Amino acid sequence: MVKTNKTENTGALKSFLSFRMMDELFAIDVLKVIEILELSKITKVPRSPEFLLGIVNLRGNVLPVIDARIKFGMPRKEATIDSCIIVMNIEIDNELVTLGALVDSVSEVLEIQSEMIQKSPSMGSRYNSAFIEGLVKINEDFVMILNIGKAFSQEEAGLLSLVTESQEETQVQSI
Amino acid sequence: MENLISVFVSEANELLEDLEKALLQLEKDKQNKVGISEVFRIMHSLKGAANMFGFEAINQLTHDLETIYQAIRDNGVNLNQEIFNVTLKCLDHLKDLLNNRVIQDGSLQKTHDELLADIHRLSNHIKSAQVETVTTGLTNGGSYASYYILFKPNPKVLLNGTNTLYLVDELLSLGQGVSLPHFSESIAWSQLEADHSYTDFEVILYTDKSEQDILEVFMFVEAESVIEIAKLSDSNLLGEQKKVEHLKSAHQFKKVGKEHILSTLSAAESKTVAVTTDLQRTKSAANVRVSSERLDELMNLVSELVTTQASLSMLAERGTSPELTAVAETVEKITRRLRDNAFTMSLVPVENLVVRFQRLVRDLSKDLGKEIEFKAEGTETEIDKSIIEKLVDPLMHLIRNGLDHGIESPNERLKKGKPSKGTILFKSYYSGANVIIEVKDDGAGINVEKVRAKAISKGLISPDVELSEKEITNLIFLPGFSTSDKITGVSGRGVGMDVVRRNIADIRGDVEVFSKIGEGSTFVITLPLTLSIIDGLLVKVGNADYIIPLSLIRKCYEVSTNELASAYNHWITLDGDRTPYFYLRNRFKVKTEAPQHSQAIQIFSHWGNICLIVDRIVGDYQAVLKPLGRPYREQEEFSGATILGDGTVALVIDPIKLIGKLSREDGDKLGVSKN
Repeated sequence: MVKTNKTENTGALKSFLSFRMMDELFAIDVLKVIEILELSKITKVPRSPEFLLGIVNLRGNVLPVIDARIKFGMPRKEATIDSCIIVMNIEIDNELVTLGALVDSVSEVLEIQSEMIQKSPSMGSRYNSAFIEGLVKINEDFVMILNIGKAFSQEEAGLLSLVTESQEETQVQSI
Repeated sequence: MENLISVFVSEANELLEDLEKALLQLEKDKQNKVGISEVFRIMHSLKGAANMFGFEAINQLTHDLETIYQAIRDNGVNLNQEIFNVTLKCLDHLKDLLNNRVIQDGSLQKTHDELLADIHRLSNHIKSAQVETVTTGLTNGGSYASYYILFKPNPKVLLNGTNTLYLVDELLSLGQGVSLPHFSESIAWSQLEADHSYTDFEVILYTDKSEQDILEVFMFVEAESVIEIAKLSDSNLLGEQKKVEHLKSAHQFKKVGKEHILSTLSAAESKTVAVTTDLQRTKSAANVRVSSERLDELMNLVSELVTTQASLSMLAERGTSPELTAVAETVEKITRRLRDNAFTMSLVPVENLVVRFQRLVRDLSKDLGKEIEFKAEGTETEIDKSIIEKLVDPLMHLIRNGLDHGIESPNERLKKGKPSKGTILFKSYYSGANVIIEVKDDGAGINVEKVRAKAISKGLISPDVELSEKEITNLIFLPGFSTSDKITGVSGRGVGMDVVRRNIADIRGDVEVFSKIGEGSTFVITLPLTLSIIDGLLVKVGNADYIIPLSLIRKCYEVSTNELASAYNHWITLDGDRTPYFYLRNRFKVKTEAPQHSQAIQIFSHWGNICLIVDRIVGDYQAVLKPLGRPYREQEEFSGATILGDGTVALVIDPIKLIGKLSREDGDKLGVSKN
């Protein structure tokens, strides 16, 4: 674990879990994360939207898993040894929903002072700004902090604002 | 304290439910002493508890009401319709008060004051009536009391042809009574005469007759016999069978005496009270109140145990140790019993529902100016608590519809040659793994032509389709359908039947309507016994496991996969019948190699028998149903998932929903949308 912020503790520290997809770094509020699972056998639900990977057995309960890549409008990729499922609680329409999201790899827990977080520039961004709570620069890397309630709720459009053809299909199915 | 208050509120709600039940019973039979005492008792407990928890308004109201019912119970004051209506109004008000410990709302305060005024008026009325009875004293205008009657006939009474036993019988017929015969004190054992009477009688009689009336019984023997009549008490001393028996056995053939009777029976009264409270205490110990969260937790644990047990059984089968197999079998047996036990815990009789409906029918029929009787059969049938809760709204809707649209006004009914009083019958019973609830009215029935015309005008069906009567009547479940021409406050807002159907579908139930014009309609609701476990058939499609509920499977057939490929328009012939089928491998986009033979699972559905074709049947399986989670909310064709013994997840198919969806995708060749 890399301590990234050893400067004076002026603002409140918040912890974020960062993960990687397509060489981009994303982060989500660690308090929303319940656990991280290794990729296990996923049972596909026939006739479901493409971004829904299926369901897994989470100690006797059923956990729906979203393919974060497809949800974010990225190309599908075969799972690797680094692939894992982030189990999180998100609130959709005042209802607490437990979801899993398959990501390429989980990196680390970042402690970030709240004033370090910059508002994301809405113009010229590749990503749909509604899903991004802010940006933070760590070791020359930009980390996008996600608003997971919006990013993973199924009603919303994909994260990528540039709509590709394959993504259009995903969206149609997700409605 | 907050915690205690919430316990009080939940208990109070139960008490109010009981009270409502008792009151509605009482309305049918206003003289029913047991009913009156029950009402009194409930009010009394409510008052005590409300006082303790600072529900001042409830305390006030119940205190005054209680006084009225005490007068009714003890002093024979007549329970009239007015008292009754006020009590019911109070009941509704009490429900509101439970949610408002301190009255803040102005309108609530107003109702409260009005009701208090009503009660005071009634109780003053009763008091003045009581004063009257006291002043009219001896004639005792119809109010009940316990009397002591000593009858010492003249020994020669038999010689006149009088039978003393007949006299005593006549006396007892005046009310509720007990006779205590004894040998007369004047008996001279040395010189007994065979035709003389040596038996005297002491009679305790509880009656509304006056002393004069009692004396009349002895009209012909009065002159030569000793007759003593005395009023013992205004209350019924014979209320407790036990103490009367005690009195009888303790004083066989000896004179008891008025004072002794009075003291024994009154003393015994307090003793029996103590006994009954003891009984009540044991009763409450036999029932333990458990919060529904704990019950849900238990069910979850049991479900997990069932799953784990399945893995254990699988391991035991694979292993070679006979001891392990034996243990696994025992665990399986125990698990099964534990599961059954836990499930019965969450079952509640549908009676809980019925009380609400009784009240609804009573109030609404008065508002609508109709005479309607509500009957309930099979109310002991038990269903899962969570199902019952979700049934209230749809059933309420069906009953309201029956009241409003179904049953005609008394005049109209008489014209049609029906009794002026309409009936709504609520009936529930078990049928296999299902519970059936029927709501039947003997009203006008559904006008098929009207429904059809309406459906066409609303664009729900096209004018040229041929539909059977049953199909047409079931059109009323389509969204946006409401046949009543005028909109009343009770029903007819056009959000009716489709909501009913959806609510029932949410608890894996189904609703159908059968109707005959002029004779009435019957709504039949089919429900699963429990929501969380189903008996299913485990099947394979490709590499994936699926569960199909056994209750919907009619028969299974083996078919050759080639035959399916060459079958025309997805119909195959099974047992000589042409049956439509859906080939799940294609539908689920399975890419693996198809087996040579497939299994056709024939499903019961309202569209006839339809087959789902799967690769292989594994066997039957007790599936603990787990929800798929919100992302899959729209996928109704899967009612959930279950964890198999090896930890993999199998989807539970809802065959009816699946068939409906698939058929619609094919351009609706089965015509499912029409239904």
